Amino acid sequence: MAKLEASDAVVFGISIDSPAANNAFAEKIGVTFPLLSDMNRKVLKEYGILKMYNVQKEEYDWAQRTTFVVDKKGVIQSVEEEASAINPNNAVAVCTKLPKK
Amino acid sequence: MRRMSFTSMIVVAALAGSMVVGAIRAQEDVKVNHTSLKAGDMAPDFTLLDNKWKQIHLSDYRGKKNVVLAFYVLAFTEG
Repeated sequence: MAKLEASDAVVFGISIDSPAANNAFAEKIGVTFPLLSDMNRKVLKEYGILKMYNVQKEEYDWAQRTTFVVDKKGVIQSVEEEASAINPNNAVAVCTKLPKK
Repeated sequence: MRRMSFTSMIVVAALAGSMVVGAIRAQEDVKVNHTSLKAGDMAPDFTLLDNKWKQIHLSDYRGKKNVVLAFYVLAFTEG
């Protein structure tokens, strides 16, 4: 995290949880960056990462774990889909290479 | 080799059948919507509420900060 801040980046976690659930989650895991709530799945659809999960024969759509790095011009610099928990190392590497200004 | 009994053939057929069904079901389970966005594309703007009920606009960071968007599955699960 410190590395990301040093590379002039802000981090947002995004899920379909409510702000209340995200806040409880943030306190539990002690994250210092904001967790955003995409309750209506609008952003997930726009980013094309809504994924269908089958749980006890019912279908639910949640996010495919994906990390995007967006530069200061609003241009995507990297897209990384992850199978398990999010690993920030690549995002750190990408941000560190981006121009400071 | 002994000829397979009728029962064991049924068992083998059923096993093969269930494997096929299993494979189809596994495909259904992973309806992944891979993003069509790639490096070089503009990141679609958004407005979302953060965990303090404050609106966050992606466009507010234009010209100021690099932004890392980490989409996770659900709170209280493993990332």
